[in-house]
Amino acid sequence: MLEIRDLTFGYNKNKPVLNHLSLELPEGKIGVLLGKNGAGKSTLFRCLLGLTKCSGSIVFEGKDLAKMKRIDRAKTIAYVPQQIHFGDLTVYDCVMVARLAHFGLAAGSEDRRVVDQVLLDMGLYDLRNENVSRLSGGERQKVAIARALAQEAKLLVFDEPTGNLDVSNEQLFYRLIKDVAAKRNLTILVAVHNLQFALSIGDVYYMMIDGKVRYSGDAGVVNADTIRDVYGIQAKIIKINGINHVIYGGISHEQNT
Amino acid sequence: MTRTTNKRINWILPAVLAVSVVLAFFISLFVGSSKMSLADSIAALAHRSTPAYERIIWNIRLPRVLAALIAGAGLAVAGLIMQTCLGNVMASPSTLGVSNAAVFGANLSLIALSGGFLTLGTNATDAVRQADPFAVSAIAFIFAIASVLLVLALCRLRSFSPNTVILAGVAIGAIWTAATTILQYHATDVGLSAAVIWSFGDLGRATYTQDYIMLAVVGACSIVFFALSWRFNALLGGDEAAHAVGVNVRLLRLVGLLLSSLITAVCVSFLGIIGFVGIICPHIVKRIVGSNHCISIPSTLLLGCLLLLVTDTVSRSVGGGTALPVGAITSLLGAPFFLAMLFTAKERG
Repeated sequence: MLEIRDLTFGYNKNKPVLNHLSLELPEGKIGVLLGKNGAGKSTLFRCLLGLTKCSGSIVFEGKDLAKMKRIDRAKTIAYVPQQIHFGDLTVYDCVMVARLAHFGLAAGSEDRRVVDQVLLDMGLYDLRNENVSRLSGGERQKVAIARALAQEAKLLVFDEPTGNLDVSNEQLFYRLIKDVAAKRNLTILVAVHNLQFALSIGDVYYMMIDGKVRYSGDAGVVNADTIRDVYGIQAKIIKINGINHVIYGGISHEQNT
Repeated sequence: MTRTTNKRINWILPAVLAVSVVLAFFISLFVGSSKMSLADSIAALAHRSTPAYERIIWNIRLPRVLAALIAGAGLAVAGLIMQTCLGNVMASPSTLGVSNAAVFGANLSLIALSGGFLTLGTNATDAVRQADPFAVSAIAFIFAIASVLLVLALCRLRSFSPNTVILAGVAIGAIWTAATTILQYHATDVGLSAAVIWSFGDLGRATYTQDYIMLAVVGACSIVFFALSWRFNALLGGDEAAHAVGVNVRLLRLVGLLLSSLITAVCVSFLGIIGFVGIICPHIVKRIVGSNHCISIPSTLLLGCLLLLVTDTVSRSVGGGTALPVGAITSLLGAPFFLAMLFTAKERG
């Protein structure tokens, strides 16, 4: 269980980026963060990673993330940022980097075994000696997931990870996340822009406004009213063959004025 | 050129470079203006020749060749680590203004403090040679290190953000250059000539003692860099990603910048400015084997050795009895090769 309580952070006291934010994400579930740009999603991730000091508490599996040593935190939480860079490394080396918290100075046989297994699971084994800068956007995204998995953390956080992917790769990416979460019993918190994909992957939804969670719950919480409130747009959710589809309308009157 | 790298190809480069360095070491040792034959050189190396030849090999050529090996390796690896720490391909061993500060220190010693040599004659080259090398080098080194610490102390206020480090280095470097100009403006002709000649990179100044000091610094720093290889690899993915896998990014950047600057300060203080090695070597290595520091650090060390050995040998061969400044030869030979590599390589896919 990930429990975030009363998280507050701001560069300016009068305008906090995170404003007493609280949420609970059960173990083995996928939590989806929704909200406009500037709602505080990336700052929340920075707090989770210990990059930004916030007031409040972040507890995962009974342990306070803020009080953990850097190495222990790296074994607990893995992160895929918005913009993914790997440098001029091979796929194998990119994934091996994630084992740093486990091996310290030089990779051992256990690290190589984990990396090989993750590459096999992700269908990247044949590309292991390829320079990652030569891969397509979709393949690079797979490397990002493989890297997060090789870290062997129980909590994975993804900050809008499909920003520069085409629709098919975006769909593939979210399907992969769902698969690995189920297979490895991982707890995942992911910030998503595309509501359509968001509705297809999440177990719990958190809709953020001005640094706090305004609405939370299962997929039912994402509806025309909450979308209008959070994003300021008209939208309709239609279920076709059991799958939720989001139909967008115009900008709502309140937003327009 | 393929950008696909695999383990086998990765280890071929350091192996080829290691063999080339050994060959270049002996060629460099046996080439010079004294017209000694190869047999004489080998005999002198084995202490089975005339005292004059033995002095040439053991007292003149060997300290110089060792300096080329050590300084080449040091400057090259310092450039690689600077580029990684600052995420900037233009970063070089002198990015923190180390060389400018060292030049100012040397100028101060040679011009204002006389460096203990001004009474020795009017020939500027002799003046530099006859100056107490440790007096000039020590003052150059003190200024170089003081400058580095000043830049890093300032950058601490901004969490060592790469752009801040680079700009602070440029600004502090500009201050040293301005101060050097003012010093030189007030210098005597001999003092000015000595100061200018000092700033040319010259491996001929190296003594065994200086070689040992450089070896200790370059060796120790290189071992630390190699031990931190995977952390530097993590840094290639950006600060947040490195932090997420457990790297203390601020400390890593501080250690990388400090040790790279320490290497540069020692080499520049003893030998003068030898440019371009620190930029060209890391680029060539990264183009061939990629950026994995486990491979690129040893490869860059070896390529630095090779480049400086070859350019020093050339500078001693074409100077007509006088060795040309090795720093100029490094750039003169290295830059066209580097440009050819840059513009003939396939575009990244």
